[in-house]
Amino acid sequence: MSSTEQGTSSAAPAEPTTAPESAAAPEVPESFYYVHGKDKVVHKVSAGALQHSALIHGMISNLGYTEEQAKANPFPFENIDGDILQMVVDWCNQHKGKPTPPEDTNLPKQKEKLFDLVLAVNYLEIKELLTYCCKQVAMMVKGKSPEEIREIWMIPTDAEDEAAEKEAKKRAGKEAAGETAAAAGDAK
Amino acid sequence: MPIALFKFPNDLLREVLNLCDPFELYKLSKCSKKCSQKATMLRDTKMWKIGYYGGNDMTICADGSNYHFKKTQKPRDYFKTERALRFGRYNDYMYIEFPKGGSFELFVYLLETFGIRTVKSMEALFGKLHNVSKVAKLLMDRKMEIEEFRINKIDNVQDAVNIMPMLSQMNITQFFECSIKFPPDFQFEFVNYPSQISISKSFWLNINQLSNCTCTRVHLQQSMLTNKELNVLLHEWKNASALPNLRVLEIESNNIDNQSPILDMIPPIINANNPRVSIFNKFYDTMIDGVQVKKNDGTEGWMRVDLGYRPALKLFIVDPADTVVEEIPEDDDDDW
Repeated sequence: MSSTEQGTSSAAPAEPTTAPESAAAPEVPESFYYVHGKDKVVHKVSAGALQHSALIHGMISNLGYTEEQAKANPFPFENIDGDILQMVVDWCNQHKGKPTPPEDTNLPKQKEKLFDLVLAVNYLEIKELLTYCCKQVAMMVKGKSPEEIREIWMIPTDAEDEAAEKEAKKRAGKEAAGETAAAAGDAK
Repeated sequence: MPIALFKFPNDLLREVLNLCDPFELYKLSKCSKKCSQKATMLRDTKMWKIGYYGGNDMTICADGSNYHFKKTQKPRDYFKTERALRFGRYNDYMYIEFPKGGSFELFVYLLETFGIRTVKSMEALFGKLHNVSKVAKLLMDRKMEIEEFRINKIDNVQDAVNIMPMLSQMNITQFFECSIKFPPDFQFEFVNYPSQISISKSFWLNINQLSNCTCTRVHLQQSMLTNKELNVLLHEWKNASALPNLRVLEIESNNIDNQSPILDMIPPIINANNPRVSIFNKFYDTMIDGVQVKKNDGTEGWMRVDLGYRPALKLFIVDPADTVVEEIPEDDDDDW
């Protein structure tokens, strides 16, 4: 269950809209928390869905927020792009309270977002989703030739690595020389 | 859509690399030395093992599967993979271009690329003993463990004679098999024994060597051992001064006869009385109609000595944890 609203800040989030739950309504009222990414769009997420994230689950346990306090203080994840956070929230909602299947068909399909998604999922400590994402990354090179693997995983050639290393050494040498000169100037 | 995998933090990179099989890591090694080294450092390959048979097929045993690297000279087949049923299990194959140094160079490359520490199996097949001895020297230098070593099907017996002294320096831990018919004057003495030995033309293995043997299973064919020697050996076993780890001893020798006793019994030594007993152990060995023998410390064993076309002695030592000793019902006679 997610809801989003554009342009709200973490300090004063606006009332998010709520989409209908896909799962059956729980018997006891469920508590909700709020998260936002780099774009400040606030997502309302149930505690059940957030349990997938060890990081957020830990934060909730430590803070002991009431629903009102949670609403007023969305968890800010400034290092995660808004669309990536949306994917993560969607996945958490789809898998709320369910055992995760061995083959997940609800994985985000946009491969161009995979890199950011993996980093976000790793940061949020969502173990199952991380496993799926890593599997997807590994599957990208199944049956490919070394040249194709190099392209898919953006692996520099040995020559490129050597050139980069030389460049780094050169830069480090220059910086060291600059520091020595500055130190000598200070001494004078 | 490309993804900059090697910009991932190490723990994340490890998660992805742990999902890669030896074929993918091999191909990765062909992309970049730096990335390959990082992959070897992060990927959990410590339990991977390699199999070497001297020819154009090398096997990596990883995560319960066998990955075969096979030589091809057709560039269009490089890195082509296939799966085939072999010996009742699926094996994966990838065709590759072998390096100029041949299988030895590929062996070294795979050891280093995957950081492998153990050789699962080594075998000189189809007369490729030269390559095997080269690999054996390397493994001795690196003090690497070799779980199983087989020496069979050699074109030139002298090559096998020459390689045998190397065994003393090789760290063979689990199994040694040899079916070479050495010259009559051949001599060899084991310095260390693996858990099991199986020697099909074993005339050169004398009683003194056997007495010092630390194997759990010994299987000898075409032995020269006599009743008297076996009698001495088994008396030593009884008082715990020989064959300390023995579980199964099987010796076929034409010198076993009915002229003198073995453990105070004249062959054939077979339990002809009811109830008949069968013994079955974890090694899938079976003995029927054996005679119970006991070590001085009370350890139970079962022995059977047959004469006839292939005179043979069989001794099983019972471990209650993995040995089943049961009576055969009388009406089961025909089944046996």
